[in-house]
Amino acid sequence: MSSANVAANPASLDGTAVHEVHDWNHGARLLACRVDPTGKHVFTASTDRTVQRWDVVSGAKTVLTGHDNWVSDLACSLDGKTLYSVSYDGRLIFWDALAEAPAPQRTIDAHRGWVRAVALSSDGKWIATGGNDKVVKIWSTEDGSLVREMAGHAHFIFSLLFRPGSTDLVSGDLLGKIHHWDAAQGTLVRQFDASEIHFEIGDWSHYGGILGLAFSPDGKTLIANGLHKVSNALANGQQGVALAYDWEQGSLVRKHESIKEERGAIVWGALFHPSGQLIAGLAEYLAFWKPDEADLYHVLETKSPIYALDLHPNQVDLFTAHFDGHLRVMKLARG
Amino acid sequence: MSSPQTPYCGSTEHLTGRRQFMGSMLSGMGAAAGMSLLTHPLGASELVQRGKSVVVIYLGGGISQFESWDPKTHVDTGGPFKAIPTSVPGIHVSELLPHTSKLMHHMALIRSINTGNDDHGLATNLIRSGRMTRTATEYPELGATVAKCLERADFPLPGHIHTAPAGNARRGNNSAYLGPRYASVTVSAEAGVVNSVLPDGMTVTVDTQRNTWRRFLNERFMRGRHAAEIDAFTQSYEQALQLMTRREVFDSTREPAEVQQRYGSDELGRQLLLARRLVENEVPFIEVKNDGWDTHCNNFEYHIHNVAFFDRPFAVFLSDLADRGLLERTLVIVMTEFGRTPTINPYYGRDHYSKAWSIALAGCGIHHGAVIGKTSDDGAEIVDRQVDHRHLFHTFLRAVGVDSSAEFDIAGRPFPIADPAAGPIEELLT
Repeated sequence: MSSANVAANPASLDGTAVHEVHDWNHGARLLACRVDPTGKHVFTASTDRTVQRWDVVSGAKTVLTGHDNWVSDLACSLDGKTLYSVSYDGRLIFWDALAEAPAPQRTIDAHRGWVRAVALSSDGKWIATGGNDKVVKIWSTEDGSLVREMAGHAHFIFSLLFRPGSTDLVSGDLLGKIHHWDAAQGTLVRQFDASEIHFEIGDWSHYGGILGLAFSPDGKTLIANGLHKVSNALANGQQGVALAYDWEQGSLVRKHESIKEERGAIVWGALFHPSGQLIAGLAEYLAFWKPDEADLYHVLETKSPIYALDLHPNQVDLFTAHFDGHLRVMKLARG
Repeated sequence: MSSPQTPYCGSTEHLTGRRQFMGSMLSGMGAAAGMSLLTHPLGASELVQRGKSVVVIYLGGGISQFESWDPKTHVDTGGPFKAIPTSVPGIHVSELLPHTSKLMHHMALIRSINTGNDDHGLATNLIRSGRMTRTATEYPELGATVAKCLERADFPLPGHIHTAPAGNARRGNNSAYLGPRYASVTVSAEAGVVNSVLPDGMTVTVDTQRNTWRRFLNERFMRGRHAAEIDAFTQSYEQALQLMTRREVFDSTREPAEVQQRYGSDELGRQLLLARRLVENEVPFIEVKNDGWDTHCNNFEYHIHNVAFFDRPFAVFLSDLADRGLLERTLVIVMTEFGRTPTINPYYGRDHYSKAWSIALAGCGIHHGAVIGKTSDDGAEIVDRQVDHRHLFHTFLRAVGVDSSAEFDIAGRPFPIADPAAGPIEELLT
C-alpha cells in the first residue's frame, strides 16, 4: 500500500510495510517527540537539557536552550506557532516555534520538582502540566496564567491527555491510577484502575506506572501504556503492555501485550493511527496491533529503545525518538 | 500490582543468604559448630575498647555514588539530580539526601574507592573481609573481627548482631577462623529475639534445673575429649540463655511512642531504632541491611524512592546517637559492595562499577567533615587518593581503637587482623 493510498484511506494501513526512511542524530538521549499539527516541524526533547526542532523534509536541526534539566515532554499549539516544553527543572517554557533561533517566550516555575507531562486542550486554550508534586495544573496558553490546580493523585503524575473535542482530561500516575477530570470545572469525575502496571518493591520503592495515555480516533477507547508481569524489577525483567479501557463504561476491555519472550520490553509511548490501529514503541521494537485485537501482528526492530513517537498529519510518516539520540522517520507504507 | 518478591539480577550475590543457616535461635546457634574455637585472646590492654560500637548500614546491590555521596551535575554521566550543600561548607551531596546533608559535620566521605571487582558475591566478600578471599584461607568479616577485638569477658550479649525487618533469628557463617562465637546473630526488628520466652508450662525453676543437668552432662562428656564442635555447641546454648535473659534489649516497643514515631514504621527505621538500642547496650558490632539498590534499569526513579527511604531514618538515627552522646563512641559506616557505572544504559539503569565509588562514615575516630579522594568530573576515574577494601578495613578498625596491624593467634599460628600489605587512611583518623 503506497503512501498516497494510506493517506487517502487510513484503514488500508498495513504495518508490515513500515520501514525507516531517515535517521537523524542529535547525539544525546531523546525523551519526547512531538510533530507540530501543521506538519512543518517535529520537536524532540533530550537529557542534554535542550529541545530540538527538526525540519521534516530536510532534517535540519535547531537547538532550543532554556531548560536546566532533562526535558521530559512537549506539546505544540494547533497552529504550530508555539511549542510548550516541560522539564525536571520544574519549568514550563513557551517557545516561538517558528523563529529562526527560538528563545523562551515565557518561562513558568510550574511545579515543585520534576514536571513529567504536558498536554494541550482540544481547543488550544489550555495547557495541562503534572509531575512529582502530584498536582495537575491548567495554564492559559494565551497569557501563561494559572487557571486552576487539581489535587488528588497519591503519587507522581507521569502522563496527561485531553480527550479530543471535550474538556475531559486524563492523568496517569506511578501507582497506576488514572484520574478523569472535568478540566472546565476542576473536578474529579472518576478513576480508572490500571494498577496492574505498577509494581511495588518492599514497602518503599516502585516500578512502572502509567507511562503514556492515548485516545482512539473515535474517543471511545483509552489506552494506558507501561509494563506488567514483572519478573526482575531491578534488571529489566517484565513485559510491556497497553491496557485498553472502554471510555463510557470505564472498564478494561483488552490488554495489548508485548512479545512474550522479549526481555526488557516496556511500552514507553503508544498512539492510534487514524485507521484505528495501535502503534507503540516496545523497547527497540515498533509494534502494531489491529483495531480491537489484543495480539500484535507486526514488529519492526530498530537500533535503540524507543522512548517516544508521534505521527505526522500526513498519517504516513511516523517519528520515533530513541535512547541513542537518534530521531528516526518511519514510512508506514511501501515504496 | 504488589508483590512480596524481592528482585535482583542473577548474580551470585543473591546466593549469600542461602549459606546462612535458617532456624530457631537454639538450633541456629548450634549450626555453626564446625568452626574453630581455638582462638586465643589478643592482649586485652591493647585492643579492648570498652563500649565502642560499629554500626554498618549495608545497602545491598550497590547504591549509586552519583545519586548519593559524589554527585556530578551538568555532565552526561551525572543524571538529573542536583547537588546540594551540606552542613560542612564546600561539601555537596545529592539532592536526594536533604536530611543527611544537614549532618555532614558528624560525617566523612570517601570518594575514591577502587575495589576492582564488579561481581556481587566477590565484591561483597572483599568489602566485608578487607581481603581477597580466593585463597585457601577464608577471612572473618568486619563484624566478627570487631566482635573479637572489642570483646569483654562479662558482656552478656552477642558481639556481632545483624538486624532484619522480620523473621527468625539465625546465625551467620562469617567468622572464619575466629570461630562461631563471633559469627553474626540475626535479630528481627519486628519480633525481637524469637523463641526466647519459656514455653507455657515451663517454670524458671524447672528451666534452671534442666540447664544445670545439661551442663553437668556436657562437662562429663567433655572429660577426656576436646573438640571445637563441642565447644561451639556448648557456647551456643550459653549465649542463647544470655539472650533470653536480656531479650528486652531487642524490644523496640519499649521506646517512647514519640521516639518510635520519629524513626518511622518503615523497615529501615525500625531496624535503625533497634540498632540504637544495641549501641546503648554497647554491642560491639551491628549491621542493618537494606536491599534493592542493584538498579540495572530505572536507576533514577529507584533512587528517588530508595534514597528517600534511607535519608530520613538515617538522619534520625545519626541525630539520636549524637544527642545521646553515643556517636562519640560509635563508628557508623554506610557500606555497599560497589558503585554504579557513569554510563547510563539504554534502560536508564546504571550497572556495577567498582573503579570509582564512595562510602560515608560518621561518628568516632574520624575527622568530621573530611572528604577523602576525588573522582574526575564525569565520575569515571579516581584522580586523587585511591583506596581499596584493604585500606577501608584497616581504617574502620583503627577508628574504634583497634590496632589493625596486630595479629590473631589461632592455635599458635599468627593471622594478621587486616591485610598487612595495606594500612589505614591515616589522614582520616583522629
